[in-house]
Amino acid sequence: MTRSSRLHQAEHRWALAFVAAPVLGYVLFTAYPVGFALYTSMTRWNGLGAMRFIGLDNYVRLFGDQYFWQSMGNTVFYMIGIPIGLALSLALAIGMNRAIPLRSMLRTVYYVPVISSLAAIAILWQWAYNGDFGLVNQFLAWFGIDGPNWLASTLWAKPAIVIMLIWKGLGYSMILYLAAIQSVPRSLYEAAELDGANGWQKFRTITLPMVRPVTFFLVVTQVIAGSQIFTEINIMTPGGGPEYSTASSVFHIWRQAFRYQDMGYGTAMAIMLGVLILIITLVQFRLNQRNSFVLD
Amino acid sequence: MAGGIVAALVLAGTAACSAGSSTDDDGKLTFMFRGGEDEKAAYQEAIDRFSADTGVEVEVIVTDPDQYGTKLQAAISGHNVPDVFYIEQASLQSYVTSGILLDITDLVADSGIDLDNLWEYGVDSYRYDGKLQGTPDGALYGLPKDVGPFAMGYNKTMLEAEGIELPDPDEPLTWDEWLDIMKQVTKDTDGDGDIDQWGTGLNVQWNLQALAWSNGADWTNADKTEVTVDTPQMAEALQYIADMTTVEGVTPSSEQQATLDTYQRWMEGELAFFPVGPWDVSTYNELDFDYDLIPYPAGATGEPATWVGSLGIGVSATTAMPEEATELVTYLSADETAQETLVDAGIQVPNLRDMAAEYASGEGTPANRQEFLDIVEDYGRPMPAAVTYGAAWYDEMWTNIQPVLDGKQTAADYLAEVQPRMQQLLDESNVQAEQAAAANASE
Repeated sequence: MTRSSRLHQAEHRWALAFVAAPVLGYVLFTAYPVGFALYTSMTRWNGLGAMRFIGLDNYVRLFGDQYFWQSMGNTVFYMIGIPIGLALSLALAIGMNRAIPLRSMLRTVYYVPVISSLAAIAILWQWAYNGDFGLVNQFLAWFGIDGPNWLASTLWAKPAIVIMLIWKGLGYSMILYLAAIQSVPRSLYEAAELDGANGWQKFRTITLPMVRPVTFFLVVTQVIAGSQIFTEINIMTPGGGPEYSTASSVFHIWRQAFRYQDMGYGTAMAIMLGVLILIITLVQFRLNQRNSFVLD
Repeated sequence: MAGGIVAALVLAGTAACSAGSSTDDDGKLTFMFRGGEDEKAAYQEAIDRFSADTGVEVEVIVTDPDQYGTKLQAAISGHNVPDVFYIEQASLQSYVTSGILLDITDLVADSGIDLDNLWEYGVDSYRYDGKLQGTPDGALYGLPKDVGPFAMGYNKTMLEAEGIELPDPDEPLTWDEWLDIMKQVTKDTDGDGDIDQWGTGLNVQWNLQALAWSNGADWTNADKTEVTVDTPQMAEALQYIADMTTVEGVTPSSEQQATLDTYQRWMEGELAFFPVGPWDVSTYNELDFDYDLIPYPAGATGEPATWVGSLGIGVSATTAMPEEATELVTYLSADETAQETLVDAGIQVPNLRDMAAEYASGEGTPANRQEFLDIVEDYGRPMPAAVTYGAAWYDEMWTNIQPVLDGKQTAADYLAEVQPRMQQLLDESNVQAEQAAAANASE
């Protein structure tokens, strides 16, 4: 570099130093852990002693592990709460966007579950779902419905958790939708009104498309978060629920790794889960691109 | 959460290669354990005396019971293993094969402690010969912190009120006699049309062992290589428990149990029979009714059986002061004053045989405390998974058992179905044990 002046060289060093910080951080806190996890997943390791390389055995074992697939199925089941939750929160956001009395109080109330401690919420819902004394069944009893023993029933334990998840997530989605709705230009609605559009048509052709980016963001983040659900499950149904019917993937991974000290196998399952989440997210991005439009 | 797992693995990984030195050479020992106020107080006394006698200071780390396992694992991963720490029976084999625990056989022999005055079961629980745990000639990797015999108790006040002859403390009831008593006490006492007093309510996970063993069944063969749950004797024991609820109706229904578990119902005085461990005694002595202990009702063998738990105290393989650390273990396990404090608190039976004789003969509740000692000395056994390398094979038995307890599947059908799955997991865990041992040996 004969052409570079001394000044340039000094600048170059500084530049390198600045670049080094994030690169080093990435190597230390991302690349190394990922590499280590990949290696761990190909070993037999109890977390205490030496690791033993066993190639792809853990991955082969995973395909024959009925509880892994059962827990995957349970995790997918929990996701049916996502569209329901989004529809409800959009409806709520539209309601909250109107000039109704006590509006800011209501907005706050819906947001409280979001900022509450997850562990505390899980315990409260566990009580609410108690078969005889729980609030849920007392409420149902007013209508003459004899509620099930929610968390102890293979049929109802999963829906019970879905209901709780919807309740917990409502406030967050609602706030984002509210912001999105408020940023839709009034002129679009006015133009539609001039063309004689009714309320439903305005919602379907203006509001819904305009909040699409928010919907996309919420779906992607909630699918990722939903794939990693653990705390609620572990507190509300310790042991994985009746006949393992509430165990989520992460719960199963945690049990293998930390209860049975099978770190290698646990890591292999965690990597499998990570890959599946990646694939699902890529598919979502692709679908979103195909359906997206540009507003001139 | 997945992020958390990765992070934990990284932390663990940086330390995974080989075990390093644990103590800084400051002449201090660290002792990590879990427990409540009573344990803390009792151990502090023993530790103070140890320090006075040996001049070695001890730094004590106490954790919540829930936190202990995680904290210990983190300490091990971080090359910062406490010199002395609690060790579960069930983890002994993996800790030994991973080179975490020190073989203290000779050091204990040199320390002058009288091992014969400790319960044989308690000491043998921490012996391991590389293949089997609990064998009398295996190397010693710890001493018992306590032994926990699981006895059967009955509500004396209730049986007397019902005019039923009290069960013999020396002669176990047969299953038929037991069921007969339970049928007599199961009734509606306040006339509101709902049954509010029952024979018992047994959690299958903690009670099947007693019934199965005394009926001649067992979980595995002696070598711990074959799962043997698919026998008629096991099926009979499991069916007996299930039928108590679904056929005989001498327990609260599963819905009723989900509402208020049977432990609470026993304490409310609603149940005639309920298991009692030494750790329950301080609580149960405060109850409104009298209770006493009996041998577990016996199945086909005519002999009672039940399990004995234990928690041990071990020494780190990397401690800088093995002699002192081992001596501390002997103080914690066998110091008379510390044992007295723990026994007086009503949370355990004495570790020392001579003290135990005194414990059983004096005044006190429950009257038949001797039953606890009989279990430890005579007919108690370790939990099936306490002496295998892993517990997954054993847990598998309970995962899908509910239909049997609900009367929707017969015990025999279920056991035939679950045996192959348990066998597969046990094979797996035995392979793991071999591989872990091989990996550490080759290091």
